[in-house]
Amino acid sequence: MNQTIAEKLFSRHNLTGKQVRAGDILEARIDGAMVHYHANEPMHDLAVQAGFKDGLPRVWDRDRVFVLLDHHQPTLSQKQADENALIRREVERLGIRCFHDSEPGIAHQMMADYGLMRPGELVVGNDSHTISYGALNTGGTGITRADMLYVLLFGELWFQVPQSIKVVLNGRQRNYPVAKDIILYLAGKYGDDFAGNLSIEYSGTLVPGLSIDSRMCLSAHGVEVGAKLAVFPFDETTRAFLAKRTDRAYESIAADAGAHYEREIVLDVDTMPFVVAKPHQFGNVSPVDEVAGRPIQQAIIGSCANGRFEDIEIAARVLKGRKVAKGVRFLISPASQQVYLQCVKAGLVETLLEAGAQVVTPGCGVCQPKVGFLSDGEACITATTRNFKGRKGSMKADIYLAGPLTVAAAALAGSIVNPKEVFDVA
Amino acid sequence: MSPDAKQNSLGVRQGSLDLNRVLRGRVWKFGDSIETDAINPYYRYPTMEELKQHTMEAYRPEFPKEVKPGDILVAGRNFGCGSSRPGLVLREVGIVAIVAESVARLFLRNSIARAIPIFMAPGITNIVNDGETLEVDYPAGIVRNVATGASIELRKFPPLIEEIFASGGLPEFAYQRYQRETTR
Repeated sequence: MNQTIAEKLFSRHNLTGKQVRAGDILEARIDGAMVHYHANEPMHDLAVQAGFKDGLPRVWDRDRVFVLLDHHQPTLSQKQADENALIRREVERLGIRCFHDSEPGIAHQMMADYGLMRPGELVVGNDSHTISYGALNTGGTGITRADMLYVLLFGELWFQVPQSIKVVLNGRQRNYPVAKDIILYLAGKYGDDFAGNLSIEYSGTLVPGLSIDSRMCLSAHGVEVGAKLAVFPFDETTRAFLAKRTDRAYESIAADAGAHYEREIVLDVDTMPFVVAKPHQFGNVSPVDEVAGRPIQQAIIGSCANGRFEDIEIAARVLKGRKVAKGVRFLISPASQQVYLQCVKAGLVETLLEAGAQVVTPGCGVCQPKVGFLSDGEACITATTRNFKGRKGSMKADIYLAGPLTVAAAALAGSIVNPKEVFDVA
Repeated sequence: MSPDAKQNSLGVRQGSLDLNRVLRGRVWKFGDSIETDAINPYYRYPTMEELKQHTMEAYRPEFPKEVKPGDILVAGRNFGCGSSRPGLVLREVGIVAIVAESVARLFLRNSIARAIPIFMAPGITNIVNDGETLEVDYPAGIVRNVATGASIELRKFPPLIEEIFASGGLPEFAYQRYQRETTR
């Protein structure tokens, strides 16, 4: 059939059962829904506005709806506590079985930790970084709150089958996580919407050796370059990761030989420099050397892009036996409670605390921001998702995005620095 | 917006969107990759009243003060990138249409689902300047600079999307379907 992953995914989930091609509009059957119930416009209010006087009358499948309280955990105000209380009542009323209530963490990481999405499935979430599920060969994609209301009622949603772009990553394995540098470099070179409305299919000689952590970083950032899907091939790494987390059957998904790609990008990772995204856009990228020497007051590692074990582990390796520079606040937020525990067991937390870093409760807080605000004139280097103006408080602060190694190096130096100067890069 | 548009508890107006109405308004022109943090900074300003005083100020501080009902927002490529947040506040300050070179997919989904008039017209930034008057004629598939006469095509939506707009948005569309299926 010469189909791309996206064409196969949506053909498999088409309600009419017909094969679809890029460009086709369809109504698709949904395998799983990750729901943020809260925020400034609660799902309940949206349902009432639409005409459901008592709120949502049902969810289509109590086992396929996943509610996680990641953005408000722990609560920082009574308003948030009230919202969470409402969510608890709604979950009980609707009979939703998968509810992570008292566990802090980022929804997307917890979905992976607990094996709630599987290869070949179509899983939606009303959060833009739902696209990160592509790391596990899952058709994960962000939708909107209003879309989610439709999904909760019917387990279906309209989509347009995207065109596909092949991103080939060639290179050797590293002694540090390289995923963030790759996606920033691509955004800088090809523009921050180079994959606009497209399905990214990752491949290349680097991919088999990439950890699930790295794949989730690359897939999560699919949305920062405009993508609808960002899918990795299913391989032994995926199988081993899922074997410990789910016993549900799944059918992985791969493109056919001869599938049509709108574009192919090949990146030789070995020739790529360390890069940063300068204020205030993801695609405003330059080699780290161009901004070396820029003093920073805050450094962050965390979020659904970079709050995973390998991101924190590299920081511990850089800081072992050393101290965070005077005047720098170095915040590290594990992506989930499971990741946090893994870091504790590996001794990373002790190393980081001894070096003067602060460990922040797992969740979205360091990225959104809930903690770690910036004042006028301050600069922050961060391995999180976005660097928009005002993202961390002041509209007059500068946010630089970088990989976790570059962030840790800057925290050590007190200013942006090429990691090679403080770490034996290989 | 239909004449029977009502306001909900959050101060957001609702109602079906008539794509067949020709729109004409003064242009506010923005650049590429305007993000939803700038359009809808609800983490800083949680109520609609506050949002109305701060939307788009990251790019043009005068916008929230000087925008008038009936104005049209023109933007470059990738409008509404970033988080999945709707642009309801733009409608609330009076923007009657958004016309962009291209729209980030979640902002487009949000606009369809909330029946916010949004149009993709590749080339739009070449035919109109800030402050000029633009005419959006969806039935004819044309966007036109009223003063210069320069015009370009806009992209028509598939029938399903037009139906969602006509219903007043996806939640309303869902309600109609639910009523049909449960009262049969």
